[in-house]
Amino acid sequence: MANNTLHSNSNLSFIRRFIYQNKVGYLFILPALLLYAIFFIYPFIGTFYFSLTNWNGVSPQKTFVGFNNYIRIVKDSLMWTSLYHNVIWIIIGTVTPIVIGLLLVVLLGNKKTKGQMFFRIIYFMPVILSPVIVGIIWGWIYNPVFGMLNRILKVIGLGFLSRGWLGDPNLAIYMVLIAAIWAYFGFCVVVLMAGMQGVDMNLYDAAKCDGANSWQQFINVTIPQLSPVLTMLSVYTMIGGFKVFDIVFIMTRGGPANSTELIATYTYNQSFQLNKLGYGSALCMVMVFLSLIVSIILIKFREKSEV
Amino acid sequence: MRKFIRSNLKYAVLVLSALLTITPILVIWISSLKSSSEIYNNPFALPKILHWENLVQAWTVGRFYKYMVNTFIVTFPTVLFVVSLSCIAGYAFAKLKFAGSKIFFYTFLLGLMLPFQSIMIPLYYLVRDLKLLGTYWAMILPATALGLPFGIFLMQAFFRSIPSELMDAASVDGCNEFMVFLKIMLPLAAPAVSTLIVFQFMWTWNALLMPMLLLNRESLRPIMLGLMFFSGRYTINYGLVAAGVTIASFPLMIVFFIFQRRFIRGLTAGAIKG
Repeated sequence: MANNTLHSNSNLSFIRRFIYQNKVGYLFILPALLLYAIFFIYPFIGTFYFSLTNWNGVSPQKTFVGFNNYIRIVKDSLMWTSLYHNVIWIIIGTVTPIVIGLLLVVLLGNKKTKGQMFFRIIYFMPVILSPVIVGIIWGWIYNPVFGMLNRILKVIGLGFLSRGWLGDPNLAIYMVLIAAIWAYFGFCVVVLMAGMQGVDMNLYDAAKCDGANSWQQFINVTIPQLSPVLTMLSVYTMIGGFKVFDIVFIMTRGGPANSTELIATYTYNQSFQLNKLGYGSALCMVMVFLSLIVSIILIKFREKSEV
Repeated sequence: MRKFIRSNLKYAVLVLSALLTITPILVIWISSLKSSSEIYNNPFALPKILHWENLVQAWTVGRFYKYMVNTFIVTFPTVLFVVSLSCIAGYAFAKLKFAGSKIFFYTFLLGLMLPFQSIMIPLYYLVRDLKLLGTYWAMILPATALGLPFGIFLMQAFFRSIPSELMDAASVDGCNEFMVFLKIMLPLAAPAVSTLIVFQFMWTWNALLMPMLLLNRESLRPIMLGLMFFSGRYTINYGLVAAGVTIASFPLMIVFFIFQRRFIRGLTAGAIKG
């Protein structure tokens, strides 16, 4: 009998506790959830809704056009050009800084290297600069009138190469990419250095015993040991590559002749320069779609590397 | 001998990379003390006399003092809100059991995958309809909402790594849930909080597209937006543009050198696990 009471008592307190804990949980997430729902979820649904209209931002009427905007996107050659530029951006903008980062980390990696921390800080400096500042600095370097690049070319006898670097449609995107890589490789150095700390140093000794030279050690020990970090870093960088906006907007605004138009700048121009908010929203949804795909890949890799 | 060449080559590459990294920044900082014609004649030379008036002019006539103040008015509340709300919610997701917690958590995580473009157009009209345009809240509230997914993700992961026995001991001592959180868990979370502060601070400080849409009134512009318009307006006054860049980057660089470990950890938190 006594046992029974005790039991139902604890049952009751269990239920009470459950309700109580539920309440506390909801109270704890409520402020965050409220802000998030109003300023994120609601506008996100709004984007999808806008994408089904041909609204211009001014008229009180939003005419429902179904999936017409999406059909137009598929037929929009400028959209495909922009997407192609994103692909160029993602490939070069992912591979180059990671390769530079790997090189520098291998050179720094050895504990005998003097000033390891010093170099790390220097390489990281551009990472904290905003894309606005990076864009202005490199706009100066490429400037046709007083740009440092043309000056240097002149000094080393290659003056015939000088030009307005950002005004050349064949070169502009690569020029902006160089600026972006300059601002990003330090990030890769730091991430890869952190990865190197997890590498088992005994493996190098073993490789040395087997007579492996530095290059063989790099290929057979460093790369495989770093591969989880390398994959994470690559996918993380790729996600950024779909969203690039600021630096291109500052340096070229997508020009000259759309040669640096990326999906984000194109979306911005269509939405806010041409006030095609319905079409712009559909382009936003394309960006959502692309980001989701790459993010899901990232999550899969994360899960895989955690196992 | 071979070893000597090799080690020197190594340092040569490292030093050359460091120079390539730092020279563009130094050149533009030094240019802020030069006259436009000096910059035009030789972009690399040091100034003959120091033209402090560039900096003064950018600060006063260029209204950088106003942009700086605006940046702080926007950045402080945003960081404060993101950090405090993320801590509370992250703690709840990690340590409290409540119905539907998984669904809510994944809803927040969704925000981690979506670009700002996914909300930007309706956000503008929402902010306008809430009569927030023309106030700093136009950016503070959406920036907080946008910062929450990463903040909650980070704090949840952190709190999950703290053993629950600590909370249980405190509840036995008669602390309620909020006191347990405030007195026991929060002080332990200091490293994760500092990471989040740096991340959110840098994100808000460097943001461009968001203030372009929501704080476009001249009197509300934060520093990066102000700098963008400033450099567009004074394109030929090189010294003045350099002064603007210097004002917008030099102080931050000093802060970076002081807290470099925290900065590096905060900024790479998205790409490194835990």
